[in-house]
Amino acid sequence: MTTVATKQEDVAAVAHLLRRAGFGATRDQIDQYAARGYEATVEELLNPRYGEPEDQDLMDRYFIASVEARSPGHADPQWAWRLATSEKPLEEKIALFWHGLFAVGGVKLDHGLEMLTEIDLFRRAGLGSFRTILFEISRNPGMMYWLDNQNSHKDAPNENYGRELLELFSMGIDDLGGGAYKEDDVKAAARAFTGWASKPTPPPFFLGPFPMEFRFDPSDHDGAEKSFLGKTGNFNGEDIIDIIVSERATARFIAKRLYLFFVSDEPDEGEIERLADCFQETGGDIRSILRSLFNSDHFKSAAVRFRKVKSPAELVFGAARLTDRFEIPDMDSSTLANYALFMGQHLLNPPSVEGWHEGEEWVDSGSLLERINFAASEVGRRTSPGVTRMLRRVESAGSDLQPGEFVEACLDALGAIDLSQRSKAVLIEHAAQDGPVLSGTPDGAERTIEMFQLIVSTPDYQYC
Amino acid sequence: MGLENFSYSHTIGIASFQGRGFMNPVDVRLDSTGLLFVLSRSNAGNKDVRISAQTLDSEYLYEFGRWGTEPGQTTQPTAIAIDKDDRIYATDEFMHNVTVFNREGQFVDRWGEFGTGPGQFDRPSGIAIDSEGNIHVVDHLNARVQKLTPDGGFISSFGASGTAPGQFNFPWGISIDRADGIWIADWRNDRIQRFTKTGEFVSTLGSSGRANGQFDRPSGVHVSADGEVFVADWRNDRVQAFSEDGAHIETLTGDATLSKWCQEFLDVNPEQASWRENAGLFEQEKRFWRPSAVETSADGLVLIADSCRHRIQIYRHAHAAVPV
Repeated sequence: MTTVATKQEDVAAVAHLLRRAGFGATRDQIDQYAARGYEATVEELLNPRYGEPEDQDLMDRYFIASVEARSPGHADPQWAWRLATSEKPLEEKIALFWHGLFAVGGVKLDHGLEMLTEIDLFRRAGLGSFRTILFEISRNPGMMYWLDNQNSHKDAPNENYGRELLELFSMGIDDLGGGAYKEDDVKAAARAFTGWASKPTPPPFFLGPFPMEFRFDPSDHDGAEKSFLGKTGNFNGEDIIDIIVSERATARFIAKRLYLFFVSDEPDEGEIERLADCFQETGGDIRSILRSLFNSDHFKSAAVRFRKVKSPAELVFGAARLTDRFEIPDMDSSTLANYALFMGQHLLNPPSVEGWHEGEEWVDSGSLLERINFAASEVGRRTSPGVTRMLRRVESAGSDLQPGEFVEACLDALGAIDLSQRSKAVLIEHAAQDGPVLSGTPDGAERTIEMFQLIVSTPDYQYC
Repeated sequence: MGLENFSYSHTIGIASFQGRGFMNPVDVRLDSTGLLFVLSRSNAGNKDVRISAQTLDSEYLYEFGRWGTEPGQTTQPTAIAIDKDDRIYATDEFMHNVTVFNREGQFVDRWGEFGTGPGQFDRPSGIAIDSEGNIHVVDHLNARVQKLTPDGGFISSFGASGTAPGQFNFPWGISIDRADGIWIADWRNDRIQRFTKTGEFVSTLGSSGRANGQFDRPSGVHVSADGEVFVADWRNDRVQAFSEDGAHIETLTGDATLSKWCQEFLDVNPEQASWRENAGLFEQEKRFWRPSAVETSADGLVLIADSCRHRIQIYRHAHAAVPV
């Protein structure tokens, strides 16, 4: 028998899943997913059908400069639209994950078109084999340019890509990584990737940008014998990737990064080891690892709910999705990425090859103000379809809501979210000042909107 | 294989955020004196929109209608039309209105507002003027074409949302032929629709696809004084020419050479010229990238707004005399 409490827990679990595997969802969407069941929802999220979205033509039509995006700023409207409206939230979330891990910055690669191509690589391959992802990013012309591999020659290898490949993209230097590879391995990797580069393109200043392409120059490739991580052979870049992917350190590194991105800002070593095992058992299949992660008791537990600081992208696009106000691309949708920028996350332009420092570092006094102002402004859009539905949902909770009931109804309408008892007490006290809330009245709607805005202004709302 | 009915003439343009050059030119029109007006759409957020005036031999003259919401400014302009007195009418999808400029670019009038009623718009896009001076506006998201007086007074309208004959799905471009017949680029239905001057459906041209006579989101349609129909086949990156009765004549995919402005830029930036030489993408440089509008001149020129390459590619009709 399904009890009310069980149903509430099902809804809360699915809401948690959608906040982590996506950017949150409206209360109606949560109900729809919950009706299908938690594990079915996990499968749906993990198996998006890759392809050009049906509204890509509209995006291109209204924002023609983003079709030939010469800079990350010109490309912003494209990704912002997807982040705000995609019905395949994990496809965008995993793209955001890899974008932070394989960080290519617009400061040097000032080529919005290539940035969008790279994001699409992550959509297409991001839930598949890590080996494939690593191979594709190693042939990504933007990455080759960003890490100077076009300057890596047979007679004079540039170690930049080989070093970051090991340190930041696969094995890491923390934990086990400190002893997992040596300086000689970096040098061998650099030699193996000589000849991997991007084709030159004409400068964008007079005709706009041209699509970048990968180029392998066999005459500039060092095909001689190399020793790498204890193995010896005439390795090329692909061989290096195969060896890297088979290492336990790589399994742990990727497991940890996935854990920190999807589960909690505080690592749980036992859970990370379990995910690393899954990585090795499945040959580095990201979909399998995430399935194991999302279906674990650890992920579903209260211990990790609302314990992860929302990134600016999660906050901005989560709030925008709540309002459900973007039917077709418009000026507002094109500027959404700017708000994430104001909060410290310049999408398509991470600050360095290390990507963003996440967790508590997202929030300082300046960014907190931006976060609160933006979220409060979004949930205050009373004519937007999403806010209208939220108002109706609060009204349907009862015609004469006591302060505690009123706060709970508002939290539920905002996507089955929860707050600390302390925050709730403050909100209930505030609601009590004006007595019961009479639903369906102008005053009731006014107070409900105000409560939405107060909720998204709490410290708790900064967590997902 | 060479072109049979057209020959490439020259290209005007260079990517530029202001002044000489264009930034995503989406429409191109000639005035009665042969002066070339180009509408640069850009991204509204980057505020590089403008209408610029230049001669056909690349002499830049002036610009107007830059970004803003005040009278005489534009925010998301989509199309322009020029009347017999050389006044320029520009539609704006963000402000849902039409701004009128004189030939020198000075503000004359502005009319229209957001809405679904007569004389109101929801993202007005294509605009054209008939022989009697009436203004026809493609009222894009209202899926209709409105006929208005030069000062915005409502006269009539036709069209509805849908896929049936006479209905529209995100229509964009418009052209008025020599008999005041109305041609609409029915963008998301991948077809051109022809109507009488009073809005009665006549015929359809094209279907979805890449073959000759098929389209992928046609953005612009233009009927020349000789009755030839040019379609900016936007997502197929080409322009197709048809006879007035719909027979396919020729497909243009772009033949651009360096414009005078580009050549001057490279002459004073030898490092950039060297990069270009190293890249060697000369064939790719020639091709259209999202051509969005076509204009013709009385003496046989065909001008194509090559929106993602920031230039106007100009062809000459094979039967037209080449000026000495």
